[in-house]
Amino acid sequence: MTPQVLMDGLVAGAMIGLGAIGITLTYSILRFSNFSHGEFLSWGAYLVLAVASGLGYLAGGPAGPIGPFSFGWTLPVALVAGIALTAGLALVVDALLFGPLRHRGSAVIILVMASFGVALTLRSLLEFVFTSKPVYFTDALQIARPLGFGLRATPDQLLALGLAAVLVVAIHLLMTRTAIGRSMRAVSENRQLAGIAGIDVRMVIRTVWIFGAGLACVAGVMSGLLVQIRPQMGLDLLLPLFAAAILGGIGSVPGAMIAGLIVGLAEAMTVQLVGAEWRAAVAFVILVAILLLRPRGLFGRPE
Amino acid sequence: MRPAADAGTVLATRALVSGYERDLPIVRGVDMAVRKGEFLLLLGPNGAGKSTLVKTIAGLVPVHSGAVLHQGADVTAMEPHLRVRHGVAFVPQTENVFTTMTIHENLLVAAQVLPKDRRAGRIADLCAMFPDLARLKALRAGQLSGGQRQMLAVARALIVEPSVLILDEPSAGLAPKVVQEVFANLKAINAAGVTTVLVEQNVKAALAIADRAIVLVEGEVRLEGDARALGDDAVMAELYLGSRHRKAEARP
Repeated sequence: MTPQVLMDGLVAGAMIGLGAIGITLTYSILRFSNFSHGEFLSWGAYLVLAVASGLGYLAGGPAGPIGPFSFGWTLPVALVAGIALTAGLALVVDALLFGPLRHRGSAVIILVMASFGVALTLRSLLEFVFTSKPVYFTDALQIARPLGFGLRATPDQLLALGLAAVLVVAIHLLMTRTAIGRSMRAVSENRQLAGIAGIDVRMVIRTVWIFGAGLACVAGVMSGLLVQIRPQMGLDLLLPLFAAAILGGIGSVPGAMIAGLIVGLAEAMTVQLVGAEWRAAVAFVILVAILLLRPRGLFGRPE
Repeated sequence: MRPAADAGTVLATRALVSGYERDLPIVRGVDMAVRKGEFLLLLGPNGAGKSTLVKTIAGLVPVHSGAVLHQGADVTAMEPHLRVRHGVAFVPQTENVFTTMTIHENLLVAAQVLPKDRRAGRIADLCAMFPDLARLKALRAGQLSGGQRQMLAVARALIVEPSVLILDEPSAGLAPKVVQEVFANLKAINAAGVTTVLVEQNVKAALAIADRAIVLVEGEVRLEGDARALGDDAVMAELYLGSRHRKAEARP
């Protein structure tokens, strides 16, 4: 096994971790497994691609790369717009479907099934608009640079790792040190008590969708930047995302990121030690093992 | 006869019918008025609808018909968090603190209703009122004893300086000595000017600290009057304490 496995696993794990934060937040507050979360990754990537392409068109051609990276100024600008658009998409889905179901007091299984429906609809819409053909943010070829200890990484990969680290610290601080974070934790623990403590539960739910979808957009763009953009990308990441959210402990932001890195590393090691065809099975094995051995995950609170 | 709701009325219900299911009302046409500064006790046997009534006032149980009025305004359709901002504070019987948060965080969450510049001062006021909470403020609420938890729940409710404090059986599950402490705290809070509505099963002790009491039976007001006088009421004894009295009399 080469040390490069570590770098490959960390990069994949950072994407999984960011997506898993969204899953863990929505699960802990809305109390259902949202199987459409993966589609927010795909939609985020495609929306950013569309905005970046539009900006490039308006600027009279593709923007030149920034420093050592493979992309130009249009991508970070489009990312900001994409986060807002993906958050908007999540809010629309909630307003049209999940919100009315919650208001009606629907059982968890109804919400879960509804999320399957949302996933299918969103994925089909992507295929309809953008086709199934893979697309890329950039055609530029990046050469991995040596980092020492036998590790190599491209500047884009290092940027993705750095951005994931910054985001996870920011979200953790937001959850523990700010009023909205405390409100989210309060709603997560006891929605009814949160209401009579003066917390606007609906506003908290909207905030959770915004954060979850925003982080999914960033994870989708990272995946698109480092691999490729496909309508199926969210679906392919869904199992690792859930494995990470459950391994980390539902409701724990640092737990989701650490577990994402563990899942990413396990996948990378499996590819090298066993074979690439077993990669998809790793998340499933981790999920089954954690549910059997420690259902509350590494950092989750006991029910 | 409907109780008079004059200018001094802080909280009132008008022909209130409520319950979790549409075709199964638990509170059945309750009229009540709580005057400013009053300590009102809600009594009744198990299943009388006391908890449902106060939960309805807090906005946690659907209203089928009738109205809840606070400071003269109709708050029947208002969401629970807006009622808190309006001045209606409610302490549920169980699950009344955020157990995964520290005491300080519990108070911070409640203080978010207040303008930023008043939050720290108000938390300091509550810590002065409940010195135990100040001493243990870094402790998770889940680690507190039953009495300390009730204290935190009451402090959490008081942070917003409510015009009316509603408590649902704060003595449930507490040791007798702790109950005395909780009741003494409630009396002191009421004496400081906070209108108080208390649901209690601990009838004798509660009647001793209340001004007035309402007895609910099967979701309806059966008796109402001065707390001390009601304690000696024969009808009340039969309605509410009947079985216990009979058992006591039957003992050799």
